[in-house]
Amino acid sequence: MRAWTDLDDFQTFIDEGGIVEPNDDMPDEFRQEVFRFVEFHANSELMGGLTERDWIPKAPGLRLKQIFLAKTQDEIGHAHLLYMVAADMGVKSRNQMIEELFSGKSRFHNVFHYQAVTWADQVAIAFLVDAAAFASQRAVFAECTYGPYKRVLKRIVAEEGFHLRHGEDMLMTLAEGSKLQHSMFQDALERWWWPAVQLFGPDSDPNDPLLKWKIKSERNETLRTAYIQKFVPLLQGYGFEIPDDELRYDDEAKKWVTSEIDWEPLKATMSNGGPDSRRRIADAATNWADTAWVRDALDAATINREAA
Amino acid sequence: MTTTTSAGPRTSRPCVTVDQVRSTLEQVFDPEYPDISVIDLGLVESVEITPDGFTTIGLIPTFSGCPALAMIAQDVREAVESLDGTTTVKVQWLSSPIWSTERITAEAKQRLSSEYTVVLRRKDGTLLCPVCGSTTVQDQSMAGPTRCRSIAWCSSCRNPVEVMR
Repeated sequence: MRAWTDLDDFQTFIDEGGIVEPNDDMPDEFRQEVFRFVEFHANSELMGGLTERDWIPKAPGLRLKQIFLAKTQDEIGHAHLLYMVAADMGVKSRNQMIEELFSGKSRFHNVFHYQAVTWADQVAIAFLVDAAAFASQRAVFAECTYGPYKRVLKRIVAEEGFHLRHGEDMLMTLAEGSKLQHSMFQDALERWWWPAVQLFGPDSDPNDPLLKWKIKSERNETLRTAYIQKFVPLLQGYGFEIPDDELRYDDEAKKWVTSEIDWEPLKATMSNGGPDSRRRIADAATNWADTAWVRDALDAATINREAA
Repeated sequence: MTTTTSAGPRTSRPCVTVDQVRSTLEQVFDPEYPDISVIDLGLVESVEITPDGFTTIGLIPTFSGCPALAMIAQDVREAVESLDGTTTVKVQWLSSPIWSTERITAEAKQRLSSEYTVVLRRKDGTLLCPVCGSTTVQDQSMAGPTRCRSIAWCSSCRNPVEVMR
């Protein structure tokens, strides 16, 4: 077990490339910040997995159903691993985290507060939204000073890379398909472009403890700008129109500049007041209640095994 | 099982060898492990090349429901097609033998453990923690993020561990 005399001493350890482990006597401020971040990530994987699940029966064709089945298992598995890491930090139990999530007291990624209307929305999520989440996770993995989280992220990042390839495949089908398929994706793009851009969050606070303690390796605006540079030309290349009248290419700075981003929709989702928040949370809560018998049966089996 | 075939240009160049194909496949990585190859995982069962360069690669899946099969077959086919001296490349998923973790190379097992915190069960059924090396690893859930992995927990170093099965 390692311990630090004060926050300055701890900062030196971090600045020298140190990785904190669960058995260390870490500063409580660090524990709280990391816990909050991992809980948010776990909640987002779980809510994302439940969304993917809704699309298994609706995915066109057996191969895509198989892919959605696998993606659902991936996200729920990621949530499981992350809840294990979070619960171990001793701030909240796993049950407490899940019950708070399903009673609408917790936060999760903004993109899971919107409704996927058509199959093209699901493709936009797999292509645009997953890419945004992937970029932000990769940036966390790059440093990530909490050992167990970093180890889980290593596998999450590898698996999300695989999802992105599926996203690209699905996008190509729509982009190169009929006029109807093309316009379906254009409609979906209009619904998902801004939530995907907003996923990165507003400009980072210069004193953000997550940056200071190297949980995050990049500022929000750096990741957001890089994302816009990549996806604007890519989507335009497929003949799609970005839903932003003021979008322009700055010849001097050599980069794409969007109109001023409205952060109100993001704020609304962070208090679970997004367009589809209520239904999403209620569905998840119903699912949790409906599956209580499985948990009861597992608990009973464990007790019986221990008694035997 | 699925088969993907594509016709490449006919050439008079000498045929590729099985060794060339296999060493190319060492650079074809599993879509979920960016640096572990199809050879490392023991997915490549057979490589056959006819005198005129018709190449058939027999692969076996880890799990038949694995969502990465189509992508793996495509990656394998493209990599072998890019070799000089192949004419037609055919990738087949074989229904036997059945894949098991014993097919993973020792070096890949080591890397799965040290880089990905993914371990294999030992012969006596126990698990060795890939992080701290202790034997205090308990199974948690049969269902992990993928078909081929379950979840365990090391109570010594307090890390989740995934188990290839």
